[in-house]
Amino acid sequence: MYSTEFFLQTLISGVIIGVLYALMALGITFIYSIVKMINWAMGEFYMIASYAQYLLVAYLLGPDLWYVAALLSAACVFLLGFVLEPVLIKPMFRQALERQDEYATVVTISLLLLLRNLATALVGPYQYKPETNLPLMVMVGPLPVAGTRLAACLCAVAALAIFYVVLRKTWYGLALRAAAQSRIGAQTAGVDILRLDQIAFAIGVALAGVAGALLAPVFNVFPTDGAVTTVKGFEIIVIGGLGSIPGALVAGVLLGVVENLGTNFISSPYQNVYGFLLVLLILLVKPNGLFGERARQA
Amino acid sequence: MAVLLETRDLTKRFGGLIANDLVSIAVEAGEIRGLIGPNGAGKTTLANLITGIYAPTSGEIRMDGRSLAGLRPNEIAAQGLLRTFQVCRIFGNLSVRENLLLPYLAQQHGGGRAEGLRRAEEFLTLTTLGRLADEPAKRLSGGQRALLQVACGFMVPGLKCYVLDEPFAGINPVIKDGIIDLILGANRARGITFVIVSHEMAVMRRLCHKVTVLIDGRVVTEGTLDEVAAKQEVISAYLGKAFA
Repeated sequence: MYSTEFFLQTLISGVIIGVLYALMALGITFIYSIVKMINWAMGEFYMIASYAQYLLVAYLLGPDLWYVAALLSAACVFLLGFVLEPVLIKPMFRQALERQDEYATVVTISLLLLLRNLATALVGPYQYKPETNLPLMVMVGPLPVAGTRLAACLCAVAALAIFYVVLRKTWYGLALRAAAQSRIGAQTAGVDILRLDQIAFAIGVALAGVAGALLAPVFNVFPTDGAVTTVKGFEIIVIGGLGSIPGALVAGVLLGVVENLGTNFISSPYQNVYGFLLVLLILLVKPNGLFGERARQA
Repeated sequence: MAVLLETRDLTKRFGGLIANDLVSIAVEAGEIRGLIGPNGAGKTTLANLITGIYAPTSGEIRMDGRSLAGLRPNEIAAQGLLRTFQVCRIFGNLSVRENLLLPYLAQQHGGGRAEGLRRAEEFLTLTTLGRLADEPAKRLSGGQRALLQVACGFMVPGLKCYVLDEPFAGINPVIKDGIIDLILGANRARGITFVIVSHEMAVMRRLCHKVTVLIDGRVVTEGTLDEVAAKQEVISAYLGKAFA
């Protein structure tokens, strides 16, 4: 009963969803590598983008322009991150605080609770589904794939390509790569690190925003819709290694594939368990993650 | 000559330790100033205070008559005051060329890439690192890294004063000469002022017009290297009281 085609289909849908998980993980790891903090409210930026996507499609642009809506939703989240960072995160670096990571944890978890409850209060606990003009099923070779998922995956790949080009070819990319290695070094070379933090935070949450907007028609829109994807993001970071961009990409796809294989070939109610099993396995054999470097104490 | 860089009663405490105690120095424009002293004398602390890595407990730092108080390291760099680190802070994952480009572009806020690349090419030739231009800098040897680190500061067109913290430590003589040539060339051609922390007395004698001796966080004496080397307190700090 398990044909090769079924196996391939499972593999493809795993890769497709994995790319979107990777986007989320990339956002977390990118912010960590520059600002040296974990943004626990990542899922709420995902959630905001998913609502923006719904509102734009339902009231302004219509289902035909879903991709414009996704672009605008991600841009909204970028701006939100750009505005919030100086208020919430920057004070962490203004004075020499004793425990910066604790400060960041408290602030971002507070933000998470605030945004999640704000969403429930404003729009209620209901689920929405933004429409698209995409076909229900698309054939990839001989295999059927959900149109929304395939489109989400392709858009995510495009977002990753843009991210790569910005990092490799632009001045900000150069400064960001330098700052990821040494904040002090970058600063003494003349880089305004506080400005860079703001940009890095905005780019990081915008990556979550892209995932939120693209996955809105797949997983629906509700106040806690970012939670599951965020957990996956953190699983990916443990698997791939904190601070590693290739790690986030490879582990994201790996998680998507493992999850789908488990769901289709073992048992579907345990979908979220397989990822954790993979995390446990990695922690057992390679505690720093696939691409992680041993943490160095300054 | 006009004073370019000046500290007045600069003091830095770390808990009970006074790393810099009322340090007052005045470096003239175009001067190459040496900073010597036994280990733990507070030389690196002074470099860190001047370049904004540490905030002073008290006292002030002025460049071109303007106070540097409260400025962050990148703002100090924007004034034309740059530095190198004792533990080499080049960016290992960036290519050699990108390492050179970074301080230039930082000063230009990202503009003037073509001019930056031209300058980078110039320094790649000068440092004979051209062959390795597109290699990640982590592939370089210790000496090449030190050379690259020093060259990075010269990339900045507005460089006025360059603080070098142990630029010659553990480096082979050929590269050492390369770094010395870079320093002397920049001093002559561009009038750049230097503050150099080093234990290499032979090099300091060649380079420095004047050296400042720091012992236990305090300025003990100033003068040419031969003048200060003859002083009792300097000899006893380096060799112990028995030799003084």
